[in-house]
Amino acid sequence: MVTIPVGELRVQSRSLAGEAWLSELFSSLPVLAGSAWLAGQQQRARQALAGESLPSRRQEAWRFTDASAITAIPAHRLERLAAPAALPAPAAQVLRLVLDGHGDPLEGLALPEGLERLDPAVVEELCGEALDANGAAASWPVQLNGALAHQVLALRVSQPLPIVLELVSDTGDAAGVLGLRLLLVLDPGASLEVLEVHRARGASLTSVVLEARLGPGARLRHGLLAQGQPPQPAAAADELPSSAGAAPVLLHHLAVVQDPASELQLTAAVSGWGLARLEPMVVQRSGAAFTRLRGLQRVDGRQVVDTHSRVLFAGPDGRLDQVHKALADGAGRSVFNGAVIVPRQAQRTDAAQLSRSLLLSDRARIDTKPELEIVADDVKCAHGATVSRLQQDELFYLQSRGIAADQAARLLLRGFCEEVLAELPTPSALWQPLALLMGEEPAP
Amino acid sequence: MTSAATVGDLVSQPYKYGFVTDIETEKIAKGLSEDVVRLISAKKEEPAFLLDFRLRAYRQWLQMEEPDWAAIGHPSIDYQNIIYYAAPKQQIKKASLDEVDPKLLETFEKLGIPLSEQKRLSNVAVDAVFDSVSIATTYKEKLAEHGVIFCSISEAVKDHAELIESYLGSVVPSNDNYFSALNSAVFSDGSFVFIPKGVTCPMDLSTYFRINSGDTGQFERTLIVAEEGASVSYLEGCTAPMFDTNQLHAAVVELIVLEDASIKYSTVQNWYAGDEKGVGGIYNFVTKRGHCRGDRSHISWTQVETGSAITWKYPSCVLQGADSVGEFYSVALTNNRQQADTGSKMIHVGPRTRSTIVSKGISAGHSSNSYRGLVQMGPKAVGARNYSQCDSMLIGDQAAANTYPYIRSQQPDASIEHEASTCRISADQLFYLQSRGIGFEEAVSMMVSGFCRDVFNQLPLEFAAEADKLLALKLEGSVG
Amino acid sequence: MIRPDAPVLLEICDLRASVEEQPILKGVNLTIRAGEIHAVMGRNGSGKSTLSKVLAGHPAYRVTAGSVHYRGEDLLALLPEQRARIGLFLGFQYPVEIPGVSNLEFLRVATNARRQEQGLEELDTFAFEDLVRERLKVVQMDPAFLERSVNEGFSGGEKKRNEILQMALLDPLVAILDETDSGLDIDALRIVAGGVNHLASADNATLLITHYQRLLDVITPDYVHVMAAGQILRTGGKELALELEESGYDWVDAELERLEASAPEGLATAQASRTPAEVG
Repeated sequence: MVTIPVGELRVQSRSLAGEAWLSELFSSLPVLAGSAWLAGQQQRARQALAGESLPSRRQEAWRFTDASAITAIPAHRLERLAAPAALPAPAAQVLRLVLDGHGDPLEGLALPEGLERLDPAVVEELCGEALDANGAAASWPVQLNGALAHQVLALRVSQPLPIVLELVSDTGDAAGVLGLRLLLVLDPGASLEVLEVHRARGASLTSVVLEARLGPGARLRHGLLAQGQPPQPAAAADELPSSAGAAPVLLHHLAVVQDPASELQLTAAVSGWGLARLEPMVVQRSGAAFTRLRGLQRVDGRQVVDTHSRVLFAGPDGRLDQVHKALADGAGRSVFNGAVIVPRQAQRTDAAQLSRSLLLSDRARIDTKPELEIVADDVKCAHGATVSRLQQDELFYLQSRGIAADQAARLLLRGFCEEVLAELPTPSALWQPLALLMGEEPAP
Repeated sequence: MTSAATVGDLVSQPYKYGFVTDIETEKIAKGLSEDVVRLISAKKEEPAFLLDFRLRAYRQWLQMEEPDWAAIGHPSIDYQNIIYYAAPKQQIKKASLDEVDPKLLETFEKLGIPLSEQKRLSNVAVDAVFDSVSIATTYKEKLAEHGVIFCSISEAVKDHAELIESYLGSVVPSNDNYFSALNSAVFSDGSFVFIPKGVTCPMDLSTYFRINSGDTGQFERTLIVAEEGASVSYLEGCTAPMFDTNQLHAAVVELIVLEDASIKYSTVQNWYAGDEKGVGGIYNFVTKRGHCRGDRSHISWTQVETGSAITWKYPSCVLQGADSVGEFYSVALTNNRQQADTGSKMIHVGPRTRSTIVSKGISAGHSSNSYRGLVQMGPKAVGARNYSQCDSMLIGDQAAANTYPYIRSQQPDASIEHEASTCRISADQLFYLQSRGIGFEEAVSMMVSGFCRDVFNQLPLEFAAEADKLLALKLEGSVG
Repeated sequence: MIRPDAPVLLEICDLRASVEEQPILKGVNLTIRAGEIHAVMGRNGSGKSTLSKVLAGHPAYRVTAGSVHYRGEDLLALLPEQRARIGLFLGFQYPVEIPGVSNLEFLRVATNARRQEQGLEELDTFAFEDLVRERLKVVQMDPAFLERSVNEGFSGGEKKRNEILQMALLDPLVAILDETDSGLDIDALRIVAGGVNHLASADNATLLITHYQRLLDVITPDYVHVMAAGQILRTGGKELALELEESGYDWVDAELERLEASAPEGLATAQASRTPAEVG
C-alpha cells in the first residue's frame, strides 16, 4: 500500500478548524419558517454533521483531495444578491431561471406547456429518492447542502419540451455560502435539455444538489458549465475582509435515477475554482437505459478539481459511454475517480469508460482511478486511462506545416476540449465555455 | 444442452498437496510478545543487530492497525492464537542430505521436488523450507564456484552477517505495513541469494515453501541481491496441507538490483485454498518489493496465484536508476470462496524508467478477484513510460471481478497508459471449438490458457507447463 | 453428381426442433448421398440456419421429434465434438472470435482430434505446419493468419476463408455451409467457392444453405430445396434456384396458404412461429 504522508498534527488542527467552521455556519443560518418538512430535513442534516469536520484525506473518497480550502470561505449564508451583472442575454427558446438561494426563481413566470412546478406533497415524497438510490445521502457535500438549502426548486416535465432550461447562479465577488437544491422529474416519454451554469469570483462556496428522475423512455440532456474565476486583485485591500482573496469553491452533486429505455446525457466543463468537487451519480434502476457522460476539467495555479462519478446498473441490458478529460497546468491538481458497478442482475451490460489527462506543467499533479466492480459474466466492460503531455508527433505535424510551437499546442488543447464542449446544449456557446476554460479573456 | 458436462462441472479438483507429514516437531507456545521475539532470535543464535531489528519491528507493529482497505473480508485474526516457531525435531541444518530425516525428503519428493543427489532437478537449485526452517539447499557448492551465495536466511545471518545487515529491511522497511512489521519481528526462515558483480547465475534458483503444522504461522523472509551486471532467475513454489482452520502466511521479499543487473522472480502459489464452503485455507498476506537502484537495472515479477483462501499481495518495483525497467505479469485464479486482492505498484523515480503490468484475473464460483495497482510518475521521471493491461475473465454469475488502478503523475514528460477489459467463455465460442472436434474440457482449457498466454510466456519453461496444468485442475467444475 | 446407388450419408426424418420453447423446425425430411451437392434456400426465418445448427448439435436448440442418421448412426445422440470427429462439418455464418487462442494451435488440435477418429497418426507441430501450409493454397490465405488468434480481427472474407481452411483440414464427409456467401465480395466468393468445389468428391457431400443464386452460379447443386416455415416445401434441380431468382418467394406464401387450408393444424402454428426469435 502506498501511504501518503499526512502530518497527524496538521490533520488535527484542520479538523478542529472544520468543526468550528461548520458550527459557525449553522449558527448563522436563520430558522426556517414555512415548510415543516424542509425544516426537518435541514435539522437532520445538521445533526448528521454535528461534531463532524471536513472530509478527511483518510477517507478513500477524499484521499487525493484536500478540502481545507472550504474553511477559507466566510462561514455565513450568502446575502441576497443584486441581479447578477453581465450575464449573456438568453438565446431564443431558452427559459432562464436565476438562482440565488433566496427568491423564488419561478415567481411571475409563465411556464411553457409540459413544464410545471411539482406539487409540494410530491416533492416531499420524491426529494432524496435519487440520492438514496445512488447511496449518496450520507456524502459530505450532500449533507452540507441539506443543512443549507432553504427551498427546493422542483419541476415536472410531462412531454418533450422544445426549450432549453437554463439554471444560472452567479455569486460574483460576494463572499459566503450559497446552497441550491433542485429536483427534476421527467414523466415517461418526456424530454428536456438543461444547461446549468454556476459562476463565482469571490470567496464563496456554491453547494448544489440536483436530483433527476427519468421515467421510462424519458430523455435528459444536461450540461454543466462551472465557470469559476480567480479572485480579482483587491482595489482597496484594507476595506475588504481578509478572506476576500480566497478562491471560490464549488460542491456539485448530481444524482439521477433512470428507468428502462431512458437516455441521459451529462456533460460537464469545470475550471477556475479554488476547489471544485463534482459527484455525478447515476443508477439505472432496472437497467436497459443509456447513460452518456462527458467531463472536462482544467486546473491552473493552485486549483483543485475532483470528479467522482459512479454508475450503477441495477438491472440487465444497460449501456454506459463515459469519457473524462483533464488538463493540469500550473501547480494544479486534477482528480478523477470513476466507479462502474455491475452487479449480478446486470447481465448484458455494455459499459465503456475512458479517462484522458494531459499534464502540462511539472508542478501540476494528476490522480486518476477508474474503478470497475463486476459480478455478472455476460457483460462487456472496458476502461482505459492515459496520462501524458501533448502528443509530440501531433505537435510536430502542425509545426511542419508552418505553425509555431505555442500556437500548435494551443490548437491541440482546444481540440482536446472542443470534443467535450461540443456536447453541451446549444445555448452554451453564449457563455464562451472554451475561452473561460482556457483562462483566456472572453470576447466582448 | 447436449453435452452432459457444463463448464460449471469442470472446476473443483481435490487439492492434491493436502497431506500432512507425521513428524515430531518442536514448537514454542502460542502467542506473541517481546519474549517470544527474543526466544526466536535466541533459538536461531542470531547476532545482536538482528535481535534489535526484530524488537524494533515488534514495537512498531504494536502501534499499527491491520489494514482494512482491500476488497477482502475475514474474521479477525487472533495473533495470540498462533505459534510463531515450529521446526522438525532435528539439528536445524544437516551437513549432508543423508542426515536429513527421510520423512522430510519423502515429503518434498511427493510434492515433486526431489532433493537427493540422484533425483534432484537438473539445472535448478532448490532451497526447501519446511514450516519455520530450511531443511536443505541443493547445488550449493556448484553455485559457490561462481561466487553465488544461495542458502537459507538463517545461515546467511551467521555466515554473511555484513550483507544481511546492510540489505535487510532496506527495500521494505519494517514499518512499511502491518504485515511487514509482523514479519520483521518474527520471521523464521527463507532464502538468501547474492549474485556478485558481473555473474550470470549458472542455473535457476528455487525455494519451495511447505507449511505442515496446523496452528503455525509462516513468516518467511527472502532477500535477493544482484550486484552490478549480475543476473538471476528465481522461482518460488508453495503448498500446505488441508486444515479446517485458517493459517497466516505473512512473508516479505526484498530484491535489490544494482547497475545493469537483473532479477526475474517467478511464483507459482498453490497454498491450500479452503474447501468449497470457504472453510480453512491460508491467509496469504505478502509484501514483495524490488528496488532498481542502479541505472539500466531490471526486475521482472511473474506470478501465478491459484491457492490461498485470501491473497493480499502487490509485488512492486521502485524504479530509481535511470533507464531501469520493472515488469509485472500475473495470473490470479479464484474459485469457490477464495478472495484475492492483488496487483502491482510501479514507482517511477528516475528518468526514462519503463514499466509494464499485465494482469489476468479469472473469477469462478463465489470468489472475488480484485486487481489493485499503482503507477506513479515522480517529478524526476522525465521520459518515463508505463503500460498496464488488466483483463478479467468471469466464469458464472456469482463471482466478482474488480479493478482499482491508481494512477498518479507529476511529470508532464512521462506517459501512462492503462487498459482493462472483461470477458467470459461464451457458449458460442465453446460450441465453435466443439464443432471442430475439440472436447469440452479441452476447449475450456484452451480458452483459459489463451487468456493467460501473455503471462505464461514469461514463466520459465518447466513452470509454464505446470501453471497451465494447475489452472486446468483448479477450474475443473466451474464453467457452465 | 447423382448416383442412386451411392451410400446414404445423412438421413433426416421428420425433424422438429425448438429454441427457447419456440418451434422452428416442423418436420424436415432430407436424404443426402455421397457425391451430392444440395442447396437449401429460403427467406430469413424459414428455419434453414436452424437446421444447420441442429445438425451440428448447438446446445441452444432442442430436438422435439424426428431422427437424423449419419451413415446409419444416430447423430442426435452425439456431442458436438463427436459429430465433428466422425466427419460432419458446419461452416458458420458468423464464425466467433476467440481471443488468446492461436489459430494454428486450434487448427492442429482439431485436425488431430479428427485424425485420431479416422485411425490416422497425430501430426506433430512440424508435420502439421507442412500440411496446413499446403491446404492454405486451397483458399489462397496468407500464412500470417495462422499466427493470430482464432478469427480475431479477421475481416468477413478472412473469416470465411478460415472456415474453408478448416474444412480442408478436417476432411469431412458431410459439409454444411451456412450462408458462406454472405458478406463476401465477388473475388472472395470465387476463392471460397473454388475451395468448396476443390474439396467436393464422389465420397463426400455438401449442403449449401443460402439466400441467393449467386453462390449457385459458382457451385452447381444437384438438388435445390426450398424451405419455409420450418419445412422443405419443394425440391427440384438447379433450375429451381433460377426460378426462385426470377419470380421471388411470393409463390411460397401462396403455397403455404394452400397447405394451411388443407392441413390447418400443422401449419397454423408454422405460420405464427416465423418470429424474430429464429436465429439466422
